[in-house]
Amino acid sequence: MNELDKIPVRQEISVAQGGAKRTNPLANVFDELVRFCQSRSMFMLHYCTGCGAIELPPAMTSRFDMERLGIQPMVTPRQADILLITGYVSVKTLKRIILTYEQMPAPKYVIGICSCTVNGGMYWQSYATAKVLREYIPVDIYIAGCMPRPEAVISGLRDLMGDIKSGRADNWKRYFQNYDHYLGNQQQLFGEDWQTPTDIIAEAEHYGLMTDQTLGEHTALLQKHQQPLEALEFSLGEKREKIQGEER
Amino acid sequence: MHFFELLVELLLMPILAFVIGLAMVLMMRRIGARIQRRVGPPVLQPIYDIIKLYSKETQISHGLMHEIGIIMAVGGYIAAETLLPVPGLDGLADKGGAVTLAYMLMIPALGMALGVGQCANPNGSIGISRALTAMLAYDIPFILVIFGVSYVYGTTNLAEMITIQQQQGVASWGIVQMPLLALTALLILPAIMGKHPFEIYVAPAEIATGPMVEMSGKFMGGLFVMQCFQLYTAGVIFTTLFLGGGLYWITFLPKIFLVVAIPMSVAYLFPRYRTEDVLRLMWKWPMLLGLIGLAVVMK
Repeated sequence: MNELDKIPVRQEISVAQGGAKRTNPLANVFDELVRFCQSRSMFMLHYCTGCGAIELPPAMTSRFDMERLGIQPMVTPRQADILLITGYVSVKTLKRIILTYEQMPAPKYVIGICSCTVNGGMYWQSYATAKVLREYIPVDIYIAGCMPRPEAVISGLRDLMGDIKSGRADNWKRYFQNYDHYLGNQQQLFGEDWQTPTDIIAEAEHYGLMTDQTLGEHTALLQKHQQPLEALEFSLGEKREKIQGEER
Repeated sequence: MHFFELLVELLLMPILAFVIGLAMVLMMRRIGARIQRRVGPPVLQPIYDIIKLYSKETQISHGLMHEIGIIMAVGGYIAAETLLPVPGLDGLADKGGAVTLAYMLMIPALGMALGVGQCANPNGSIGISRALTAMLAYDIPFILVIFGVSYVYGTTNLAEMITIQQQQGVASWGIVQMPLLALTALLILPAIMGKHPFEIYVAPAEIATGPMVEMSGKFMGGLFVMQCFQLYTAGVIFTTLFLGGGLYWITFLPKIFLVVAIPMSVAYLFPRYRTEDVLRLMWKWPMLLGLIGLAVVMK
């Protein structure tokens, strides 16, 4: 037997089923129309990590023109549908990715571009890189390559469109349904006091996505030290006051 | 009988405005794509976007004012549409007039300010303060234009203006009678539509789309609907004041699409002005032109 068989294979997380409460009355009636429109209009977040981001400008501009597929860049997570992770994910970047992902309104899709998001790629031995992206957030589609060309990026996006159209792309529900699993992996990297501004458990309850996998030992750890989010005080800072003082 | 006719008109006018507005948004995006040598979005893209935004499963609301703000923003334009006479449909045009319309056009910006304020996002606050400053900048030339046009036609009633221009032919069109005021209106048109080069309040790379920063799902959908109304309103006002309105849709539609296409073709060629430069520019050249135009028409 070869060496590969000795490498332990990670167990797939079990997909717990939970009926989502449909908040939108239109969705029950025109399900197919809605899914079609969702697949033909995707706003992607203007957020780039690593080196794969360099392949996106040609995919967006005149050579390949993503807009003819209804894909256009948006700058805030609130407006976005797809989160593109375009390259290696350092531990520090991963925190930002998770914050961003949790702020996006569902249905939301994550695309891992480049080998680094699949298995760490050439950063496999790096101490500061999170290797397997889907352990921390659910990934809908991977586009492998170092780096994939714009054609590959667009072909991957078309695959995602097909998934959305047929209703298969519901990985965003997994994050609510298996929150304990994802939170456990996050805590392993960031430490026990890891907390994000978004209250995922409350959202899972609100949208009817609670399963027996949502809560567990890791969420218990989170709830022990979780503090309610308070607005930061808004001030123009010391610099401004100093300038005003000098003027006087 | 008269009551029901009016009711049908009031329902039909915003719906027509929305459909034409969708086509205008498509035209705007296609022009932008053509200038950048791209293919551009498919024909039904604006509809896809709006349906998608309204069908988001999680809707993130920041409170009651957030929702009311968006309703005010869209509602202000819906009210404005009923005051704009179009071929076959007068609505409330003969009761409202140009001055009421100018007031109605301020409501959307104020509604946005209320909604954005509730979001408590610093980027949003910066954006909306810029948007209101820009409104201050273009509103003074706009009022000058409305004043001059009303003086020439002797009425503030938009329906009567159209009748006068239609009866007396091209020689009585606003653009022939008062070219300076028409030029003023054309200069402030991109600002009314919120497009380049007066788009600093959106500034995606700097303040993350400003007022829209916390808008998601149905709120963003509301703003997309508002944009349709915004383009339509700007086109129809200019056509009514200067291009003789229209007795039939077949002559009216090319005019309003042309009016919207002119600033759009220019828009994508320019970067943005800073807010204080918008104010300086608007209060210098369009206002100077407007005042000279006013002096010419009043003799």
